[in-house]
Amino acid sequence: MKVAISVFKDSVSTVFDASQHLLVLEINGAGEQKRAMVKLKTIDPIRRASQLSEEGVNVLICGAISMPMQAAISARSIFVYPFVRGKVEDVISAYQDGKLGQAVYALPGCRGRGHGRGRGRNRGTHCSWR
Amino acid sequence: MKRKTPAKQKEVNSSDEQNIILDSIADGVFTVDKDWRITSFNRAAEEITRVSRREAVGQLCKDVLKADVCESNCCLRTTMKTGKPIVNKKVHIIDAQGKKIPISISTALLRDSKGKLLGAVETFRDISVEEDLRKAIHAKYSFEDIISKNHRILQLFDILPDIAASGSTVLIEGESGTGKELFARAIHNLSPRKKHPFVAVNCSALPDTLLESELFGYKAGAFTDARKDKPGRFRLAENGTLLIDEIGEITPAMQVKLLRVLQEKTYEPLGATESIEHNVRIIAATNKDLDMLAREGHFREDLYYRIYVFKISLPPLRERMEDIPLLIDHFITRFNAMQKKNIQGVSEEAMSILMSYNYPGNIRELANIIEYAFILCKGGLIEKKHLPENIFFLKPDHDENEIVSLRDAEAGYLLKALKQNNWDRLKTARQLGMHKSTLYRKIKSFGIKLPS
Repeated sequence: MKVAISVFKDSVSTVFDASQHLLVLEINGAGEQKRAMVKLKTIDPIRRASQLSEEGVNVLICGAISMPMQAAISARSIFVYPFVRGKVEDVISAYQDGKLGQAVYALPGCRGRGHGRGRGRNRGTHCSWR
Repeated sequence: MKRKTPAKQKEVNSSDEQNIILDSIADGVFTVDKDWRITSFNRAAEEITRVSRREAVGQLCKDVLKADVCESNCCLRTTMKTGKPIVNKKVHIIDAQGKKIPISISTALLRDSKGKLLGAVETFRDISVEEDLRKAIHAKYSFEDIISKNHRILQLFDILPDIAASGSTVLIEGESGTGKELFARAIHNLSPRKKHPFVAVNCSALPDTLLESELFGYKAGAFTDARKDKPGRFRLAENGTLLIDEIGEITPAMQVKLLRVLQEKTYEPLGATESIEHNVRIIAATNKDLDMLAREGHFREDLYYRIYVFKISLPPLRERMEDIPLLIDHFITRFNAMQKKNIQGVSEEAMSILMSYNYPGNIRELANIIEYAFILCKGGLIEKKHLPENIFFLKPDHDENEIVSLRDAEAGYLLKALKQNNWDRLKTARQLGMHKSTLYRKIKSFGIKLPS
């Protein structure tokens, strides 16, 4: 399985839509096998989703991501962990330990977003900050 | 109890005053210390970013603002480095709900009374309305303007770049108000022709003779009042894309002319003696079933197959009910901005009614319903009383006198309840007075497909 993390220096890039680099990890039952840095070619959602698909990515861990971008990537059957922050190595460990849902890895105001936990979002009647 | 010293008390009062002043400003304002950590965050900043002050203070400003320039060209960093303020720079942020918002940013240094550097201040303003209007005026819609999480639409997103790159003729089928023109514009804006014009013509609005002069133009003297040459839509769309909307409405005579234009890639303006070559990509749209019309002999088969290189079928809104809350949110944001109102959303009761309606006019009708509600609703939530009455009377999916099996009736009832509850299974089970596992079993047994 290939897990991609959008990165800036040694952290998860804050905004995936504008990020330029992707760290792609190959992980199997025995743990991490291989890692490679990939340059993201475009900021266009469809073409970016298409590049992830061509790289064979199964899971994307990223910072803030716009709805159209997430929709385009999900349409390629890529599972997205959105609104994640933290040092890359910590995030990788948290992902492998199933702890990515912890508050420490969520961008401010985004706790409970995505990961199948974001039910009720965009209903117009609910705002996470109220 | 320990009392505050007068000096301490004065400091607290001054800080409260500052917060009150900051909160009264309509623009978002936050300050950072020299380590880029937020030290104050006003009410408008909370509203624009959807991050509470409690969560924002103490955090790195990039994590809170989530702007596209934070890592590549941070405005605050530039100001701290150069000492020069930045005024009204346009950037995009992503709010805590995943909405991309255009904002205008200004920055300045923050110094104490002795001139010592404390940090910096950033003010920002949501310019979605201006952007929205600019888009509407220039019709620069892209794929990102299509709001959906429906699986059929998401599948279309997947193939849209390939369709756009191909340059082939595309046929878009869908009921009125399903967004055919929006898709056509998105294809154009994704294609290599995007720098050239996108031109649309609606065939149903024009009689044959007018349509011909609209499409192909005319030469001076072609008819009375034709004093000078007039370029047609084909000429205007040269090197770009021409959307021929409601193509199912054109007469057989016009079908022959259009077929020739598509086959030979040339056309003749009215009154011209020579043909003109064109380089125009054609996108045809219709709310009719062209395949059926062709089979019945009402539409030329040769023209049908000429335009049907690739067909996109847009689902009606009643088949993508999961998009209704998203679309309502979108229209509320738009009308709030345009009408300077502050409608917060839709009450549960109103949402339940909106989820049960079948929208024969599709997204356009939903937009009209929200616009209607905006006239009556002065603030807070849109309630049932703000909705137009006609949407309360559900048209039955079948003839009421027709006898259906008990199983079908139960399946229909269950489906209606699920729709009313915005596909929330727990809520539906509670409303129907059954256990959630019973509901899940019934959903499975009736083969009801839930939106993903």
